[in-house]
Amino acid sequence: MSLMTILAEIDYEELLEDAEGQEFIFSWEPLIILGIALVIILVYLIASRLLRSKKELPPGEFHLEKAEFETDKALQFQDVKVTFATEFGTVDAVRGVSFDVGPGEVVAVVGESGSGKSVTSSTTMGLTAENASISGEVFLDGKNITQMMPGALRGLRGNEISMVFQEPMTALNPVLKVSDQLTEVFQIHGKAFGAEALAKSIELLRSVGIPDPENRIHEYPHQFSGGQRQRIVIALAVANNPKVIIADEPTTALDVTVQAEILDLMRRLKDESNTAILLITHNMGVVADMADRVVVMFQGEVVEQGPVKQILRSPQHPYTQRLLDAMPELRSETSAEEQTHIHAESAAYEDTEPEDGYALQGKDLALAYKFRGRSNRVVEGVNFAVKRGEILGLVGESGSGKSTIAKAVLGLLEVDDGELLIRGKNLPALPRQERRALRREIGVVFQDPAASLDPRFPIGDVITEPMVVHKVGTAKERAARAKELLDAVKLPTDVINRYPHELSGGQRQRISIARAMSLSPSILIADEPTSALDVSVQARVLEMFAELQQQFEFACLFVTHDLAVVDQLADQIMVLEKGRMVEYGRKDQILRAPQEDYTKRLLAAAPVPDPDLQAKRRQARRELLAAQGLSLD
Amino acid sequence: MLKYTLKRLGSTVLVLFLASILVFFLTVHSGDPLADLRESNDPDAPFEMEQRIYHMQLDQPWYTRYWGWLQGVLGCFRLSCDFGTNREGQDLNPILMQAAEDSLRLVFIATIASIVLGILIGILTAIRQYSVFDYSVSFIVFLFFSLPTFWAAVLAKDYLAIYFNDWMQEGAEFSWGQLLLISGVMAVVVPLIAGGSAMRRLVTGAVVGLFSAGALWYFDSAQFALYPRVGALGVILLSFGLAVGLTALIAGLKNRQVLYTALTVAALSIVSYYATWNLLQDPPGGWFFLGALFVLTIVICVVIARTMGGYAKGQATSVAVLTGVLSSALILLDHFMYHWPNMMSLKPRPISTIGSHTRRFTEDDVTWWQVNLDLLTQLWIPTVILMLISLATYTRYTRSSMLEVARQDYIRTARAKGASERTVVLKHAFRNALIPLATIVAFDFAGLIGGTVVLERIFNWNGMGQLFVTALQQVDPAPVMGFMIITGFVAVLFNFFADILYAVLDPRIRV
Amino acid sequence: MSEQTPNTSQTEQDMADLAEVEDAKLQAKGVSLSQSQLVRRRFFAHKPAVISLILLAFLTVLAFSSIGYGIIPGWWDKTFTATGPVLNGGQPTMFQDGQILGEHPFGQTQMGQDFFAQAMYGMQQSLIIAFVVGIVSTMIGVVVGAAAGFFRGWIESLLMRATDMVIVVPLLVLAAILGQMVAGNVWALALVLGCVTWTGLARLVRAEILSLREKEYVSAAIAMGASPTRIILKHMLPNSVGVIIVNATFSIAAAILLESTLSFLGLGVQLPEVSLGSLVDYYQGASTTRPWLFWFPGLFIIAIALSVNFIGDGLRDAYDPRQKRVGDRRPGLLQAMGLRGINRRGKDRTQGAGEAPGQPGQATHVVSAAEPKSNPLRQWRKK
Repeated sequence: MSLMTILAEIDYEELLEDAEGQEFIFSWEPLIILGIALVIILVYLIASRLLRSKKELPPGEFHLEKAEFETDKALQFQDVKVTFATEFGTVDAVRGVSFDVGPGEVVAVVGESGSGKSVTSSTTMGLTAENASISGEVFLDGKNITQMMPGALRGLRGNEISMVFQEPMTALNPVLKVSDQLTEVFQIHGKAFGAEALAKSIELLRSVGIPDPENRIHEYPHQFSGGQRQRIVIALAVANNPKVIIADEPTTALDVTVQAEILDLMRRLKDESNTAILLITHNMGVVADMADRVVVMFQGEVVEQGPVKQILRSPQHPYTQRLLDAMPELRSETSAEEQTHIHAESAAYEDTEPEDGYALQGKDLALAYKFRGRSNRVVEGVNFAVKRGEILGLVGESGSGKSTIAKAVLGLLEVDDGELLIRGKNLPALPRQERRALRREIGVVFQDPAASLDPRFPIGDVITEPMVVHKVGTAKERAARAKELLDAVKLPTDVINRYPHELSGGQRQRISIARAMSLSPSILIADEPTSALDVSVQARVLEMFAELQQQFEFACLFVTHDLAVVDQLADQIMVLEKGRMVEYGRKDQILRAPQEDYTKRLLAAAPVPDPDLQAKRRQARRELLAAQGLSLD
Repeated sequence: MLKYTLKRLGSTVLVLFLASILVFFLTVHSGDPLADLRESNDPDAPFEMEQRIYHMQLDQPWYTRYWGWLQGVLGCFRLSCDFGTNREGQDLNPILMQAAEDSLRLVFIATIASIVLGILIGILTAIRQYSVFDYSVSFIVFLFFSLPTFWAAVLAKDYLAIYFNDWMQEGAEFSWGQLLLISGVMAVVVPLIAGGSAMRRLVTGAVVGLFSAGALWYFDSAQFALYPRVGALGVILLSFGLAVGLTALIAGLKNRQVLYTALTVAALSIVSYYATWNLLQDPPGGWFFLGALFVLTIVICVVIARTMGGYAKGQATSVAVLTGVLSSALILLDHFMYHWPNMMSLKPRPISTIGSHTRRFTEDDVTWWQVNLDLLTQLWIPTVILMLISLATYTRYTRSSMLEVARQDYIRTARAKGASERTVVLKHAFRNALIPLATIVAFDFAGLIGGTVVLERIFNWNGMGQLFVTALQQVDPAPVMGFMIITGFVAVLFNFFADILYAVLDPRIRV
Repeated sequence: MSEQTPNTSQTEQDMADLAEVEDAKLQAKGVSLSQSQLVRRRFFAHKPAVISLILLAFLTVLAFSSIGYGIIPGWWDKTFTATGPVLNGGQPTMFQDGQILGEHPFGQTQMGQDFFAQAMYGMQQSLIIAFVVGIVSTMIGVVVGAAAGFFRGWIESLLMRATDMVIVVPLLVLAAILGQMVAGNVWALALVLGCVTWTGLARLVRAEILSLREKEYVSAAIAMGASPTRIILKHMLPNSVGVIIVNATFSIAAAILLESTLSFLGLGVQLPEVSLGSLVDYYQGASTTRPWLFWFPGLFIIAIALSVNFIGDGLRDAYDPRQKRVGDRRPGLLQAMGLRGINRRGKDRTQGAGEAPGQPGQATHVVSAAEPKSNPLRQWRKK
């Protein structure tokens, strides 16, 4: 049935004939040409080497000059409204915001998620998303930004108005050298070019506190730490002596000691250059540290504004009051008498082992990460003991190993050395079956609400999963238990059939807690459970947490970097640095009468929401660092 | 980093070795090499069977045959490769070399063209996301992904080639109808790419339409297709035009240093056009000579840029190199055009659909240019067909990579510094977007080899693909293995270069 | 003295902080959709995908119902082997002379066989092979990829080597050799092709599993003592379903093209079986004399591959939606010329900005999700 097919075959004879016909004739000309090219390259390299050795880098100068203002308001918002058009309909992000910032003034815009504070700030730079509609007017020292042509606005960015962003790890282009990125900001605005720009950039780096800038400027961003990268971003912001700097949560992603340094840096730069700063934050301590005036936003509107002392000490609007109430407080100002009293108490405190043993205990615990045969110790020599009904707060900065310890207790990481006793049984030594059975005793709450719940599981299944895994109860019993737990975490019971994506962050964390409690564990591990939540939401969750703990009396390992939270909840505290225990003891002793230098530094760096008190603390911190022999910047 | 790349190289070579065993085993057991002779009534058949058994070592078990072949190939390390013989006893070394030349030339040109075009179109569609241009390109990309290469190739051979040949034979002129059609299409398509408001598009469209109509009319009246020339005037105008245009695109016309660099390069290329004219009439050493000149061009451009570039050395280098390369391409084009009429007289129907080159062209009175023009006319249709899928892949990958990069924080930082859009896209986004592309180059190559197998069948080339299919059907393992080793070796090289490219682009791996 | 801004909305009275806002929103929520339902909804909103789905379904039904399959008879009266007199040079009778289908809607071959029947038979084979290959390669790919991602170790190295193999030995080459071994047995061919095309999917599944391992709900499951089986089956695989289905679909399209190419070379489906690719091979010489013999099989291949690709694209968008463009965002003349500032709509928009859509709670929730970073690159043209 087929038609004739051209049976295409290779013709060997033809090929061989062609092959014979082609002879490779070697000729010299191409090599001569390549030789010429080589000679040119060599001549150029030699010449440039010679010239460069003669020409030295001109000494760069960079100093912050006082910014000159034409009007008396550096930044002015007049009834600004921003609307987004999304697939869910139009969304009003900002609904009529009016306030202004004077020269040299720091105005803090405070609010939680959805308040519209970030959108407000990006409006001034003209960096709002595509589908945003903006009405109202924004004035930068008298110039109307909202009516400006894009070209003119671009001329202002990085020049008269600049921005510092939240996430320093991703703010810099990873494939360009730092020198390139710094000189760019000078060249774009025609302030300096070439070698002069490079010299200026080096001085700029020095002034923001990067050591050895001459060499480090030629490195790539990934070779700097998070705090250093934020300094580079700040350097970019101040390079052209801007009139206004917008800082959008500049220290939220940083450790508390680094945060204090960055805030010091920003204050110093502001004082020298009389720049106005619009500081967006949700942290009242930072507000007390930096701000002159405060604007409080909620759901796209300004609910209150005023001088910082008034707002923080005697707020008028119920939202502001609630917000300030919700903030956990770190009380670490103690007089000398109180300190001696606390010392005496803790000395007298005998830690007696209860009859049924400690719930959780670590003895000379050492943990390591294994990677391709190589083992890397990240935690060393940790000792602790937690009774039922007690909360141990693990405190430290990033890289301190606190999360690693939590992971080890959960069985996510093998113990390298030492003992880890859960209800008296040494976990590493147990056979697998027993280990698995022990899992029933431990509940966990993680940090990221977005990733803590399986998006395909309805809430009811999420909560009862531990029961399913350990084959506890019938389906009916589980459902009843789920409802019970939902009541305990104060969520409506019809949430059982909902899905995680319909809940907010705080609600999801409450579900996580419900899941952790489902088998009535004797130990609860909480790894930064509220770090990703807004202040008022966090307050709710912590409140609920404390209630549950009273009710169920579980022992808890609470990992956090926030000293105020730990002050609110914990009974014992362990301070960790780089995998080692720095200090361990009762809460009062650690927080009010610390012994170790590191602990003192940590406490000194944490800001409190009272401006006068914070000013005193700043001074105290300076003295402390000087006393410890450390430089300030 | 170097250690990592070398380790990767080593493991890929190991895989090549293991794959060779697998392929040999499968080939040998895929059929009966003596099947046709068994059924034949030819009195010579038994003798031929003996011959074949001897040449292919059919009396040995497969692993002995493999070992024999391997020893021959390992001789390559001592610079005396022995790829064995085919079933007729012909030595495979010259056969493979000759066949490889055609196939690899096709694959390389297709690869380079797809990468360059793919990246360009990908960037354009990313910038113009959600526009009509973007949607049409996306649709065309999908179409190319769904297009069977062999079917398109047969179509091209039977319609496009013949149509082109007819058109050339009948005087190579556009009829009025064709002229209006082409101008109309240009007037619609170009504004879609350029974008802008309705009014602006209308204006662009009108200008483009009139311009192309005028150009085509000139084309006809000057019989450009038969006697094409860029000419001295063309080279001068276009070189300067390139210099100015590229400066405007990459650095902005205000940047005087870059502009002067580009103009210098353009001037130099015009000078070299005259200087090298006679020399290039018969280039000594053929493509090697041209290659060396190309290297020299780039070196000169880079040196000029770095001396004249001032503080914009990076941009100056890009502009200078691009101007230099494109001007050289223009000069080369002019030389090809100069020899075109001669070639037409030898070969009035330029695209013969059989073979990769015309065999009578090995006589002495044929210039080097005509030989290569002949190669090119045979080459361009298969290259275009082969490029279709590759182009689609690179376009889509570049587009999604650019869009991914555009969402990153450092782009927002660049904008906050006040950088112009051009800088943001070219300096910040582009380099980051290229990084993931390095990974698909190696995979794409394998796909292209598969494509050549099909194309050589249809266009009847004596290339490696044809060699592979024939040998496979004859159950003759030696040529199959030769094909596999050569393509595998080139693939390993590609992979190696891709890894190096990855390291060059991404300092996080390097430092 | 701190100032209070006069409130126009009811936020002050009803909700005094964010936590209450969120809880209120939860109460107000209407229908609750699971992930699968959301995905389904998004898929059916993707027009090209739905059209392609209909087209593919139509083609499949046509292929199998027209000439029947196996013992089940079809509604078309001719078989693809029966020869007969050649009418009118064998030209197609579709839409000619007032008839819709006519005797030979796709024309006749040189020997008078009905080409419609042949094309339908070829399409049957191609569809069967494509689906079987898709299923086989997906199954192998998922198993290997999931094992490599979860257990790491030697399976992962094996997968890496297999991927390198695909770089070094082109797929077509390997498939051609295997195709010749199978010597035309359709089911064996499908099986064998499935065994060589799984590496791409395996790599993607492995990458997905690796990223899922870092998710905290997986850590929570491990911490509560769930077995690896439960974690893979209940947590990881269901959450990688998106990647798996999308790539399985694309692999079906690739399978059609691979099989057609092999059959075209004579190494895939061979006589007496017929597939669309082998039809193109047989009739390639007739492309100018009897073009219908050449065009129809090719167009069918394109139609099937294109619709499968669009379905895959629709699925991908359904599982991983990116911010879609909303409304008419085309810039006005002044904007395009850059004569207007960031205040994009000027006077027009102020009315819209004052209204509060729906419930205040709903708006907030969406704002945080919808601080959209739609394509920033588009600003080139505007600014």
